[in-house]
Amino acid sequence: MTAWGVRFEDELRRLGVQPGRARQLADETAQQAAECDAAPDSLFGPAHLYARHLLSELTTRTLPLNGPSGPVRLRLTGVGKRYRRRTVFDGVDLTVRGGEVAAIVGANGCGKSTLLRICAGLTRPSSGRVQRTRRVGFVPQDAGTAGWLTADEHFTLFGAAAGMAPRRARSTGEHLAARLAWRPGRKQLTQHLSGGTRQKLNLVLGELHSPDLLLLDEPYQGFDQGTYLDFWHQVRAWREAGRAVVVVTHLLHDLQHVDQVFDLGALR
Amino acid sequence: MLHGFLDLCLLAMLREKPDYGYGLAQRLATAGVADVPGGTLYPALLRLEQQGLASPSWGPSESGPRRKYYAITDLGRTELAAQVTGWQRFRDGVDTLVAAGARR
Repeated sequence: MTAWGVRFEDELRRLGVQPGRARQLADETAQQAAECDAAPDSLFGPAHLYARHLLSELTTRTLPLNGPSGPVRLRLTGVGKRYRRRTVFDGVDLTVRGGEVAAIVGANGCGKSTLLRICAGLTRPSSGRVQRTRRVGFVPQDAGTAGWLTADEHFTLFGAAAGMAPRRARSTGEHLAARLAWRPGRKQLTQHLSGGTRQKLNLVLGELHSPDLLLLDEPYQGFDQGTYLDFWHQVRAWREAGRAVVVVTHLLHDLQHVDQVFDLGALR
Repeated sequence: MLHGFLDLCLLAMLREKPDYGYGLAQRLATAGVADVPGGTLYPALLRLEQQGLASPSWGPSESGPRRKYYAITDLGRTELAAQVTGWQRFRDGVDTLVAAGARR
Protein backbone atom coordinates (compact mmCIF):
# COMPACT_ATOMS: atom_id res chain seq x y z
CA MET A 1 0.00 0.00 0.00
CA THR A 2 1.12 3.58 -0.62
CA ALA A 3 2.18 5.90 2.20
CA TRP A 4 -1.04 7.80 1.56
CA GLY A 5 -3.03 4.59 1.98
CA VAL A 6 -1.31 3.82 5.28
CA ARG A 7 -2.06 7.30 6.62
CA PHE A 8 -5.66 7.01 5.43
CA GLU A 9 -6.16 3.66 7.12
CA ASP A 10 -4.49 4.84 10.34
CA GLU A 11 -6.76 7.85 10.52
CA LEU A 12 -9.88 5.74 9.93
CA ARG A 13 -8.87 3.48 12.80
CA ARG A 14 -8.09 6.45 15.00
CA LEU A 15 -11.60 7.74 14.26
CA GLY A 16 -13.01 4.49 15.62
CA VAL A 17 -13.53 2.46 12.43
CA GLN A 18 -13.09 -1.29 12.97
CA PRO A 19 -9.68 -2.46 11.67
CA GLY A 20 -11.21 -4.80 9.08
CA ARG A 21 -13.48 -2.11 7.70
CA ALA A 22 -10.63 0.44 7.68
CA ARG A 23 -8.48 -1.94 5.65
CA GLN A 24 -11.34 -2.57 3.25
CA LEU A 25 -11.96 1.15 2.74
CA ALA A 26 -8.23 1.75 2.23
CA ASP A 27 -8.07 -1.03 -0.38
CA GLU A 28 -11.08 0.32 -2.19
CA THR A 29 -9.71 3.84 -2.17
CA ALA A 30 -6.44 2.57 -3.67
CA GLN A 31 -8.41 0.74 -6.34
CA GLN A 32 -10.48 3.86 -7.10
CA ALA A 33 -7.32 5.91 -7.59
CA ALA A 34 -5.96 3.17 -9.84
CA GLU A 35 -9.04 3.11 -12.08
CA CYS A 36 -8.77 6.88 -12.47
CA ASP A 37 -5.06 6.50 -13.11
CA ALA A 38 -4.39 9.17 -10.49
CA ALA A 39 -2.28 9.42 -7.33
CA PRO A 40 -4.53 9.22 -4.23
CA ASP A 41 -3.49 12.63 -2.92
CA SER A 42 -4.27 14.37 -6.18
CA LEU A 43 -7.66 12.65 -6.38
CA PHE A 44 -8.71 12.84 -2.73
CA GLY A 45 -6.47 15.44 -1.04
CA PRO A 46 -4.62 14.84 2.26
CA ALA A 47 -5.20 11.32 3.63
CA HIS A 48 -6.44 12.20 7.11
CA LEU A 49 -8.82 14.88 5.86
CA TYR A 50 -10.28 12.52 3.27
CA ALA A 51 -10.74 9.91 6.00
CA ARG A 52 -12.84 12.38 7.97
CA HIS A 53 -14.73 13.49 4.89
CA LEU A 54 -15.54 9.92 3.90
CA LEU A 55 -16.74 8.99 7.37
CA SER A 56 -18.97 12.02 7.64
CA GLU A 57 -20.37 11.27 4.16
CA LEU A 58 -21.10 7.71 5.19
CA THR A 59 -22.76 8.65 8.47
CA THR A 60 -24.52 11.86 7.39
CA ARG A 61 -27.23 10.68 5.07
CA THR A 62 -27.98 7.54 6.99
CA LEU A 63 -29.21 9.60 9.95
CA PRO A 64 -32.94 10.10 9.58
CA LEU A 65 -33.85 13.73 8.99
CA ASN A 66 -36.57 13.71 11.62
CA GLY A 67 -34.27 13.48 14.58
CA PRO A 68 -31.10 12.09 16.00
CA SER A 69 -30.76 8.39 16.48
CA GLY A 70 -27.04 8.16 17.08
CA PRO A 71 -25.47 6.40 20.03
CA VAL A 72 -25.67 8.04 23.44
CA ARG A 73 -22.49 10.10 23.92
CA LEU A 74 -23.35 11.71 27.25
CA ARG A 75 -25.78 10.78 29.99
CA LEU A 76 -26.24 12.60 33.27
CA THR A 77 -28.45 10.95 35.87
CA GLY A 78 -29.50 12.91 38.95
CA VAL A 79 -26.35 15.01 38.91
CA GLY A 80 -25.99 17.65 41.59
CA LYS A 81 -23.32 20.05 42.84
CA ARG A 82 -22.95 21.55 46.30
CA TYR A 83 -20.29 23.90 47.62
CA ARG A 84 -20.28 23.37 51.35
CA ARG A 85 -23.91 23.89 52.29
CA ARG A 86 -24.91 25.79 49.16
CA THR A 87 -26.64 23.71 46.51
CA VAL A 88 -25.78 25.03 43.03
CA PHE A 89 -28.04 22.55 41.24
CA ASP A 90 -29.49 19.16 41.88
CA GLY A 91 -31.19 16.32 40.02
CA VAL A 92 -29.91 17.09 36.51
CA ASP A 93 -30.92 14.44 33.95
CA LEU A 94 -29.59 14.95 30.44
CA THR A 95 -29.00 12.60 27.52
CA VAL A 96 -27.19 13.70 24.36
CA ARG A 97 -26.81 11.43 21.34
CA GLY A 98 -24.62 11.56 18.28
CA GLY A 99 -26.06 13.94 15.69
CA GLU A 100 -27.67 16.06 18.37
CA VAL A 101 -26.98 19.57 19.67
CA ALA A 102 -28.01 20.40 23.22
CA ALA A 103 -27.94 23.87 24.74
CA ILE A 104 -27.52 24.54 28.46
CA VAL A 105 -29.13 27.86 29.34
CA GLY A 106 -29.91 29.75 32.54
CA ALA A 107 -29.15 32.98 34.37
CA ASN A 108 -25.62 33.96 35.38
CA GLY A 109 -24.47 32.10 38.45
CA CYS A 110 -26.81 29.14 38.09
CA GLY A 111 -23.86 26.83 37.42
CA LYS A 112 -23.85 26.40 33.63
CA SER A 113 -20.07 26.31 33.38
CA THR A 114 -19.82 24.01 36.41
CA LEU A 115 -22.28 21.62 34.81
CA LEU A 116 -20.28 21.62 31.59
CA ARG A 117 -17.07 20.89 33.51
CA ILE A 118 -18.85 17.97 35.16
CA CYS A 119 -19.83 16.74 31.67
CA ALA A 120 -16.16 16.97 30.70
CA GLY A 121 -14.99 15.14 33.83
CA LEU A 122 -13.00 18.15 35.05
CA THR A 123 -15.20 18.73 38.12
CA ARG A 124 -16.62 16.02 40.35
CA PRO A 125 -20.37 16.08 40.92
CA SER A 126 -21.55 15.93 44.55
CA SER A 127 -24.23 13.44 43.57
CA GLY A 128 -25.51 11.49 40.59
CA ARG A 129 -23.85 9.66 37.76
CA VAL A 130 -22.04 10.79 34.59
CA GLN A 131 -21.48 8.51 31.61
CA ARG A 132 -19.65 9.80 28.57
CA THR A 133 -17.90 8.64 25.44
CA ARG A 134 -14.14 8.29 25.53
CA ARG A 135 -13.21 10.96 22.99
CA VAL A 136 -14.31 14.33 24.31
CA GLY A 137 -13.40 17.84 23.15
CA PHE A 138 -13.75 20.66 25.68
CA VAL A 139 -13.68 24.34 24.77
CA PRO A 140 -13.59 26.63 27.82
CA GLN A 141 -15.04 30.13 27.87
CA ASP A 142 -11.61 31.70 27.77
CA ALA A 143 -8.08 30.77 28.77
CA GLY A 144 -6.98 27.26 27.85
CA THR A 145 -4.28 28.71 25.61
CA ALA A 146 -0.73 29.75 26.46
CA GLY A 147 0.24 33.32 25.56
CA TRP A 148 3.87 32.56 24.79
CA LEU A 149 3.11 29.85 22.20
CA THR A 150 2.11 30.28 18.55
CA ALA A 151 -1.01 28.68 17.07
CA ASP A 152 1.11 26.01 15.36
CA GLU A 153 2.81 25.15 18.63
CA HIS A 154 -0.60 24.73 20.24
CA PHE A 155 -1.65 22.38 17.44
CA THR A 156 1.50 20.31 17.92
CA LEU A 157 1.15 20.21 21.70
CA PHE A 158 -2.56 19.36 21.83
CA GLY A 159 -2.13 16.95 18.93
CA ALA A 160 0.65 15.13 20.80
CA ALA A 161 -1.67 14.70 23.78
CA ALA A 162 -4.10 12.91 21.43
CA GLY A 163 -1.38 10.82 19.82
CA MET A 164 -1.16 12.78 16.57
CA ALA A 165 2.10 13.30 14.67
CA PRO A 166 3.23 16.97 14.70
CA ARG A 167 2.85 17.54 10.98
CA ARG A 168 -0.61 16.11 10.89
CA ALA A 169 -1.68 18.05 13.96
CA ARG A 170 -0.49 21.27 12.31
CA SER A 171 -2.15 20.65 8.95
CA THR A 172 -5.39 19.62 10.67
CA GLY A 173 -5.29 22.71 12.89
CA GLU A 174 -4.73 24.99 9.92
CA HIS A 175 -7.53 23.32 7.98
CA LEU A 176 -9.97 23.72 10.89
CA ALA A 177 -8.87 27.33 11.43
CA ALA A 178 -9.61 28.10 7.78
CA ARG A 179 -13.21 26.99 8.31
CA LEU A 180 -13.52 29.79 10.86
CA ALA A 181 -12.00 32.20 8.33
CA TRP A 182 -8.72 32.39 10.23
CA ARG A 183 -5.21 31.88 8.88
CA PRO A 184 -2.81 31.57 11.82
CA GLY A 185 0.42 33.58 11.49
CA ARG A 186 3.56 31.45 11.63
CA LYS A 187 5.33 33.45 14.30
CA GLN A 188 2.49 35.25 16.00
CA LEU A 189 2.33 34.58 19.72
CA THR A 190 -1.09 33.83 21.13
CA GLN A 191 -0.84 36.75 23.57
CA HIS A 192 -0.85 39.09 20.56
CA LEU A 193 -4.06 37.64 19.12
CA SER A 194 -7.38 39.41 19.58
CA GLY A 195 -9.85 37.88 22.04
CA GLY A 196 -12.01 36.59 19.20
CA THR A 197 -9.09 34.96 17.44
CA ARG A 198 -7.93 33.34 20.69
CA GLN A 199 -11.39 31.84 20.94
CA LYS A 200 -11.03 30.46 17.43
CA LEU A 201 -7.80 28.82 18.54
CA ASN A 202 -9.64 27.36 21.54
CA LEU A 203 -12.33 25.98 19.28
CA VAL A 204 -9.81 24.43 16.88
CA LEU A 205 -7.97 22.80 19.81
CA GLY A 206 -11.21 21.33 21.10
CA GLU A 207 -11.88 19.70 17.74
CA LEU A 208 -8.32 18.79 16.74
CA HIS A 209 -8.57 15.11 17.68
CA SER A 210 -12.01 14.67 16.08
CA PRO A 211 -13.95 13.97 19.30
CA ASP A 212 -17.36 12.26 19.40
CA LEU A 213 -18.62 14.71 22.01
CA LEU A 214 -17.91 18.44 21.91
CA LEU A 215 -18.48 20.55 25.01
CA LEU A 216 -18.49 24.28 24.34
CA ASP A 217 -18.73 27.03 26.97
CA GLU A 218 -19.97 30.19 25.21
CA PRO A 219 -17.11 29.81 22.78
CA TYR A 220 -17.93 32.83 20.64
CA GLN A 221 -16.98 35.67 23.01
CA GLY A 222 -15.38 38.37 20.91
CA PHE A 223 -16.48 36.89 17.60
CA ASP A 224 -17.74 39.36 15.03
CA GLN A 225 -21.03 38.70 13.25
CA GLY A 226 -19.44 36.81 10.34
CA THR A 227 -17.42 34.51 12.58
CA TYR A 228 -20.44 33.96 14.80
CA LEU A 229 -22.33 32.65 11.77
CA ASP A 230 -19.31 30.53 10.73
CA PHE A 231 -19.38 29.09 14.24
CA TRP A 232 -23.01 27.97 14.01
CA HIS A 233 -22.41 26.68 10.53
CA GLN A 234 -19.62 24.58 12.04
CA VAL A 235 -21.95 23.32 14.79
CA ARG A 236 -24.40 22.18 12.11
CA ALA A 237 -21.59 20.42 10.25
CA TRP A 238 -20.59 18.55 13.45
CA ARG A 239 -24.20 17.57 13.97
CA GLU A 240 -24.52 16.28 10.44
CA ALA A 241 -21.31 14.33 10.87
CA GLY A 242 -22.95 12.52 13.79
CA ARG A 243 -21.10 14.27 16.61
CA ALA A 244 -22.81 15.13 19.86
CA VAL A 245 -22.54 18.79 20.84
CA VAL A 246 -23.32 20.52 24.14
CA VAL A 247 -23.10 24.29 24.14
CA VAL A 248 -23.53 26.63 27.09
CA THR A 249 -25.16 29.84 25.98
CA HIS A 250 -27.08 32.81 27.26
CA LEU A 251 -28.13 34.08 23.82
CA LEU A 252 -31.70 33.01 23.24
CA HIS A 253 -31.57 33.42 19.48
CA ASP A 254 -28.92 30.67 19.40
CA LEU A 255 -31.61 28.22 20.35
CA GLN A 256 -33.05 27.97 16.85
CA HIS A 257 -29.96 25.94 15.98
CA VAL A 258 -30.29 23.28 18.68
CA ASP A 259 -32.24 20.06 19.18
CA GLN A 260 -32.82 20.30 22.90
CA VAL A 261 -32.60 23.02 25.50
CA PHE A 262 -31.75 22.33 29.09
CA ASP A 263 -32.77 25.24 31.32
CA LEU A 264 -30.65 24.98 34.44
CA GLY A 265 -32.41 27.98 36.02
CA ALA A 266 -35.79 26.24 35.79
CA LEU A 267 -34.68 23.44 38.12
CA ARG A 268 -35.13 25.54 41.21
CA MET B 1 -25.48 23.04 -7.88
CA LEU B 2 -25.24 19.28 -8.26
CA HIS B 3 -25.36 18.92 -4.50
CA GLY B 4 -28.50 17.02 -3.58
CA PHE B 5 -28.96 15.62 -7.08
CA LEU B 6 -25.82 13.52 -7.34
CA ASP B 7 -27.53 10.46 -5.86
CA LEU B 8 -30.36 10.90 -8.34
CA CYS B 9 -27.95 11.07 -11.30
CA LEU B 10 -25.98 8.04 -10.11
CA LEU B 11 -29.08 5.91 -9.56
CA ALA B 12 -30.48 6.92 -12.96
CA MET B 13 -27.25 5.94 -14.70
CA LEU B 14 -27.10 2.63 -12.83
CA ARG B 15 -30.67 1.86 -13.85
CA GLU B 16 -29.54 2.20 -17.45
CA LYS B 17 -26.62 -0.16 -16.90
CA PRO B 18 -24.22 -1.27 -14.16
CA ASP B 19 -21.04 0.76 -14.17
CA TYR B 20 -17.88 1.53 -12.18
CA GLY B 21 -16.80 4.81 -10.61
CA TYR B 22 -14.65 6.25 -13.33
CA GLY B 23 -17.17 5.23 -16.00
CA LEU B 24 -19.94 7.05 -14.11
CA ALA B 25 -17.76 10.16 -13.80
CA GLN B 26 -17.23 10.14 -17.56
CA ARG B 27 -20.93 9.70 -18.26
CA LEU B 28 -21.73 12.65 -16.00
CA ALA B 29 -19.15 14.79 -17.80
CA THR B 30 -20.30 13.67 -21.27
CA ALA B 31 -23.91 14.49 -20.39
CA GLY B 32 -22.71 17.98 -19.52
CA VAL B 33 -23.98 17.67 -15.95
CA ALA B 34 -20.73 18.16 -14.04
CA ASP B 35 -17.11 17.22 -13.59
CA VAL B 36 -17.47 15.41 -10.30
CA PRO B 37 -14.20 15.10 -8.35
CA GLY B 38 -13.25 11.67 -7.02
CA GLY B 39 -13.51 12.92 -3.45
CA THR B 40 -17.22 13.55 -4.04
CA LEU B 41 -18.08 10.65 -6.33
CA TYR B 42 -16.60 7.70 -4.46
CA PRO B 43 -18.02 8.54 -1.02
CA ALA B 44 -21.44 8.88 -2.68
CA LEU B 45 -21.08 5.44 -4.28
CA LEU B 46 -20.02 3.87 -0.98
CA ARG B 47 -23.02 5.47 0.65
CA LEU B 48 -25.41 4.07 -1.97
CA GLU B 49 -23.87 0.67 -1.33
CA GLN B 50 -24.18 1.04 2.44
CA GLN B 51 -27.83 2.10 2.13
CA GLY B 52 -28.58 -0.92 -0.04
CA LEU B 53 -29.50 1.22 -3.05
CA ALA B 54 -26.72 -0.20 -5.22
CA SER B 55 -25.00 -3.56 -5.04
CA PRO B 56 -21.32 -4.00 -5.91
CA SER B 57 -19.54 -6.72 -7.81
CA TRP B 58 -15.93 -6.99 -8.86
CA GLY B 59 -15.22 -7.20 -12.55
CA PRO B 60 -12.06 -7.45 -14.61
CA SER B 61 -10.86 -4.70 -16.91
CA GLU B 62 -9.10 -5.11 -20.24
CA SER B 63 -6.10 -3.31 -18.87
CA GLY B 64 -5.04 -2.51 -15.37
CA PRO B 65 -6.67 -3.24 -12.00
CA ARG B 66 -10.02 -4.92 -11.41
CA ARG B 67 -13.03 -2.68 -11.12
CA LYS B 68 -15.91 -2.43 -8.71
CA TYR B 69 -19.15 -2.37 -10.69
CA TYR B 70 -22.37 -1.13 -9.15
CA ALA B 71 -25.87 -2.28 -10.09
CA ILE B 72 -29.11 -0.71 -8.94
CA THR B 73 -31.19 -2.72 -6.43
CA ASP B 74 -34.97 -2.87 -6.04
CA LEU B 75 -34.65 -0.52 -3.09
CA GLY B 76 -32.57 1.73 -5.34
CA ARG B 77 -35.32 1.82 -7.96
CA THR B 78 -37.88 2.84 -5.34
CA GLU B 79 -35.56 5.56 -4.05
CA LEU B 80 -34.88 6.74 -7.61
CA ALA B 81 -38.62 7.05 -8.35
CA ALA B 82 -39.06 9.20 -5.24
CA GLN B 83 -36.07 11.39 -6.12
CA VAL B 84 -37.27 11.82 -9.71
CA THR B 85 -40.55 13.22 -8.39
CA GLY B 86 -38.63 15.66 -6.22
CA TRP B 87 -36.40 16.65 -9.11
CA GLN B 88 -39.35 17.27 -11.45
CA ARG B 89 -41.00 19.49 -8.89
CA PHE B 90 -37.76 21.43 -8.47
CA ARG B 91 -37.20 21.73 -12.24
CA ASP B 92 -40.80 22.88 -12.86
CA GLY B 93 -40.44 25.48 -10.11
CA VAL B 94 -37.23 26.87 -11.62
CA ASP B 95 -38.78 26.83 -15.11
CA THR B 96 -41.75 28.83 -13.82
CA LEU B 97 -39.49 31.43 -12.24
CA VAL B 98 -37.32 31.75 -15.33
CA ALA B 99 -40.28 31.92 -17.72
CA ALA B 100 -42.07 34.55 -15.63
CA GLY B 101 -39.21 37.02 -16.07
CA ALA B 102 -38.63 36.25 -19.75
CA ARG B 103 -42.11 37.34 -20.85
CA ARG B 104 -41.55 41.02 -20.09
